[in-house]
Amino acid sequence: MKLDLKVKIAGVELANPLMTASGCCGYGEELADIFPLSKLGALVSKSITLNPRLGHPPPRTAETTSGMLNAIGLANVGIDKFVTDKIPFLKKQKTKIIVNVAGSKLEEYVEVCSRLNDIECVDMIELNISCPNVDEGGMEFGADPIMTEKSLKAVKKVFNRPVIAKLSPNVTSIVQIAKAAEQGGADAFSVINTLLGMVVDAETWHTKITNNKGGLSGPAIKPVALQMVHAVYSNSSLPIIGIGGIRSTSDVIEFLLCGATAVQIGTGLFIDPMLIVKIEKELKQYMKRKKCNSIYDLIGKVRKY
Amino acid sequence: MIKPTCEDTFLLKKRNLKNDYFSFTFKPYVPVKKCKPGHFLQLQLPNSDVYFRRPFSIASVDSNGSIEIIFKIFGEGTVLLANLAKGDKVNLLGPLGVPFKFPKKNEQTIIIAGGVGFPPLMYLAVEMIAKGHDPKSIHFFYGGRTTDDIIEKTRLNKLGVNFYPVTEDGSFGVKGLVTKPVEEFIKSSNSNMRIFSCGPTGMLKAADAIGLKYNIPGQLSLEAPMPCGFGICLGCVKEKTDGTHARVCCDGPVFEIGEIII
Repeated sequence: MKLDLKVKIAGVELANPLMTASGCCGYGEELADIFPLSKLGALVSKSITLNPRLGHPPPRTAETTSGMLNAIGLANVGIDKFVTDKIPFLKKQKTKIIVNVAGSKLEEYVEVCSRLNDIECVDMIELNISCPNVDEGGMEFGADPIMTEKSLKAVKKVFNRPVIAKLSPNVTSIVQIAKAAEQGGADAFSVINTLLGMVVDAETWHTKITNNKGGLSGPAIKPVALQMVHAVYSNSSLPIIGIGGIRSTSDVIEFLLCGATAVQIGTGLFIDPMLIVKIEKELKQYMKRKKCNSIYDLIGKVRKY
Repeated sequence: MIKPTCEDTFLLKKRNLKNDYFSFTFKPYVPVKKCKPGHFLQLQLPNSDVYFRRPFSIASVDSNGSIEIIFKIFGEGTVLLANLAKGDKVNLLGPLGVPFKFPKKNEQTIIIAGGVGFPPLMYLAVEMIAKGHDPKSIHFFYGGRTTDDIIEKTRLNKLGVNFYPVTEDGSFGVKGLVTKPVEEFIKSSNSNMRIFSCGPTGMLKAADAIGLKYNIPGQLSLEAPMPCGFGICLGCVKEKTDGTHARVCCDGPVFEIGEIII
């Protein structure tokens, strides 16, 4: 059997399990200048909201030990401009397109998803019910099982292709939220969004970003993410997209072993924009060495004590 | 916009210019021909706990395929950088950003440099002269806290530009802030002028105000902490005077006078 990296998420076949993480690749245009987007299993857009959002005032990122804190505040062009200005570019890309959707009210999520239903090149929606950086909506939806189920149900009614629920780690039980999302009709999970954090300057006594609190990403959060992927995997049969601090091929393999079918890479791309291209190559070498023909030979195969 | 590339390169030459100021030359750097004054590089420090790349404006390029940056030790990243040894490998992402627009040949060029904002402006002056601008049409105002903050004097003098050093303590050149002699020069000149500035925030603010006050066009090169450097993270934005946001890394770092709230 020939070695291949193909995986399926809710019936959608991806050339490999490597995706960009939402909010870490804009709408794809800048990355396309650096490597062909056909190298990606899928491109996940920045969160799209009904109305354009400027985001928080600067500064809105801060470097931390092995990671970064951000509170961009869902800056995006809004659904109208996304459709007119960004979709024509995305349509031409030889990769799967996943549009991340956020909102502050349920009606906003529904409106955006229903608009996206008419756009053929959108293969899946990733529902951001876990953004830690907005006052309304975002994490409010994803922290409450009832709201989670309700929002998934509402969106599934207006979007006829797979919907991925992006889950927050800032909850008491991520498994409980995953189950609620599944109940609402989610087709897959993205695990995890950023962890709430704060960065303070000991000299100036000041917080380092204007929103004061923000989402922590980068290698610092990888162990948290691996545990959560494994917990969701052990309690649901839906496919999982693992996210959190990936910066190497072995990081990707760890996520697959813990139960992820695919992964997303975000902050890692800032440091090495060629990271996904590099991992795609190394992943094949690894599989050859381990005598694996398919990614499925790795998924969930973690050996536990 | 130029497509950036990620390239491994080696530290060819390391010079300690003065106290905390260093000049590093890297070779080979294939994209030298694409580089223009105002462009910058994102430098990845090898095997370190410093997570982000660090942005440095280009100080000079050589057609033999080498590239120079000049920096001052300021924080964690530059401390590690200064510890690199000749032959060490680093990865450069670049060239990045929007470069300077060259002035017209009939314009007097007013350069306002401050401290470590000096390198891209020296590069600009060098390239202008190479393109046939009269060195005497370039007025290089260079400010620092003390004489130790005025680096590469010989190099500037060799260019043949009008060099106006200014220090806050008067230890070299005129005493005071750089903007005062700039304003005096502007008042005494009847020619068409264009301003280029790079330096600390206070100086950029003053350069912006001078441009607006005397209705002189020009460009400012800004700096901001940059997680990515090529437009995807939206972490380095500045507020624009029209109420929108601009990414310093790829809508800038060079902006028009009056465009950004500094």
